Amino acid sequence: MDAVIQLLVNGALMGCIYALITLGLSLIFGVMNIVNFAHGDLVMISMYMAFWMGSYMGLDASLTPLITFPMLFLLGIGIYYALIDRTLRQKYVTQIAVTVGLMTFLRAVAQLAWKAQPRSLPYSLISGNFQIGSATIMTSRLISALVSVLVIVLVALFLSRTWPGRAIRAVSDDLDASSLVGVNQKATYALAFGLGSALTAIAGGMLMTFQQVDPTMGLRFGLLSWCVLALTGLGSISGLLISGIIVGCAEALAMGFWDPRARLLVVYLIFILVLWLRPRGVFGRK
Amino acid sequence: MQNNFILQVENITKKFGNLVAVNNVSLNVVQGEIVGLIGPNGAGKTTLFNVISGLFPPERGRVIFKGKDVTRVVPHVICKMGMSRTFQVTRAFASMSVEDAIRVGAYNRHTNKETLEIVNEVIQFCDLGKLRRRKCADLGLAALRRVELARALATEPDLLLLDEAGAGLNPSELGNLMDILKEVNREKGITLFVVEHVMQMVMGLCQRIFVLDAGELIATGAPEEISQNPRVIEAYLGKRAIR
Ligand SMILES: Nc1ncnc2c1ncn2[C@@H]1O[C@H](COP(=O)(O)OP(=O)(O)OP(=O)(O)O)[C@@H](O)[C@H]1O
Ligand SMILES: [Mg+2]
Repeated sequence: MDAVIQLLVNGALMGCIYALITLGLSLIFGVMNIVNFAHGDLVMISMYMAFWMGSYMGLDASLTPLITFPMLFLLGIGIYYALIDRTLRQKYVTQIAVTVGLMTFLRAVAQLAWKAQPRSLPYSLISGNFQIGSATIMTSRLISALVSVLVIVLVALFLSRTWPGRAIRAVSDDLDASSLVGVNQKATYALAFGLGSALTAIAGGMLMTFQQVDPTMGLRFGLLSWCVLALTGLGSISGLLISGIIVGCAEALAMGFWDPRARLLVVYLIFILVLWLRPRGVFGRK
Repeated sequence: MQNNFILQVENITKKFGNLVAVNNVSLNVVQGEIVGLIGPNGAGKTTLFNVISGLFPPERGRVIFKGKDVTRVVPHVICKMGMSRTFQVTRAFASMSVEDAIRVGAYNRHTNKETLEIVNEVIQFCDLGKLRRRKCADLGLAALRRVELARALATEPDLLLLDEAGAGLNPSELGNLMDILKEVNREKGITLFVVEHVMQMVMGLCQRIFVLDAGELIATGAPEEISQNPRVIEAYLGKRAIR
């Protein structure tokens, strides 16, 4: 029993980070209907950037998002204008080819730059652990989860209360109608893509406080975020958190009771099951 | 501007594959007037509106708005220049509240702080006070049409295109809408260009009417002239009515 609780605690904390990663994916998919296969690899790139700043600049991983967030935001905007904007009116296959190509490219760059072996940072400001009942809680995981939840709430507020946030929602509801009342489609799409990408910087930085990174990691985060998004559907922030936690717990239980190598298999099973039973997600609108 | 035309449509042709939806249409709208565009189903009215508002680039011809060629200008820039519109099939922002949807329009000319004031004014004008916090997806047709009108008004246009704003409304809702539109024209000085099937509304509202049939402009004139024009009667009732 204690073992189960311990696994669930770890899974739930990880799940909050998954929810944050998925928020970025969901923003991009919800607004411009683009399946960004490179999203997981942006998380991987963010982690490497955190590793790099940690080892060469001595910056703590948890603080790297202060620098990587604006960098990933600009990278996202660049990707939008260079690649995505041109494919919006193309066939679905073309869009898939472009983001899959980007994914392969990012992975190859990481392999060239950092070789294949996993990297991690020796320590973080937030370290140690404490006990609640029978469960041991790693401070770094707890803080990462809290930061994720906080950022998710901030993004939700941004979307509901600000001018650019309302523009993003309007464009995702009805592109033509919004452009005819003055919303700049390209700028709004670029903003959504930039923000969606930048959110991976926060996830990546926090993950590096307790995890290692390797160039194939993007695959795992990509699949995880697709699974969480499928479970959530579009447009529900609380649903996003719940789905993230469900997937995180399922993954943790699979690792604990079955085989660590089964983690992705379980995620994939949930993904298929949801697509089969509830193709519009469990928590979303429509 | 040398003349007082707010909108000039010059030889517009729009095709969908082999179908010529709008065929060499030219027309002018004078600053401050209310003009109507009528015609049987499939005549090309909505398509012409889509060309004017920048959604569809035409194969031929030019659209001149306030003396500037806007034929290939993107919709949000045309909106900034002072043109907005509503849709035949309502397209309010489904997931947003009435207030937020209108606010999106208000950002066209105002900063965040000022928009609230505009939104309040427009909401009052269109009688949406009770519905302001409701979600657009939950509203009925008459309310949605008013939300679309309010959203367009919030952009502070000089020219407003209304595509069948009266369709599906009952007589009292229609009366309400006509009152609002007359006020929009008289008090805000907004030029109205309306596509309409409801004859009562066209006749009661418009000073001039254009008639489109199978993509071609077949008549222009005051409402009384139009209702007696044999070509118009033919287009609406079929050839047999003439013989
Ligand atoms: N996006 C499109 N693609 C292909 N054909 C279209 C498209 N939009 C309109 N058409 C065709 O163009 C013609 C004109 O359509 P349009 O919607 O402009 O007519 P309308 O006068 O607005 O009719 P209604 O009174 O039914 O609204 C029709 O034959 C229609 O089928
Ligand atoms: Mg129409």
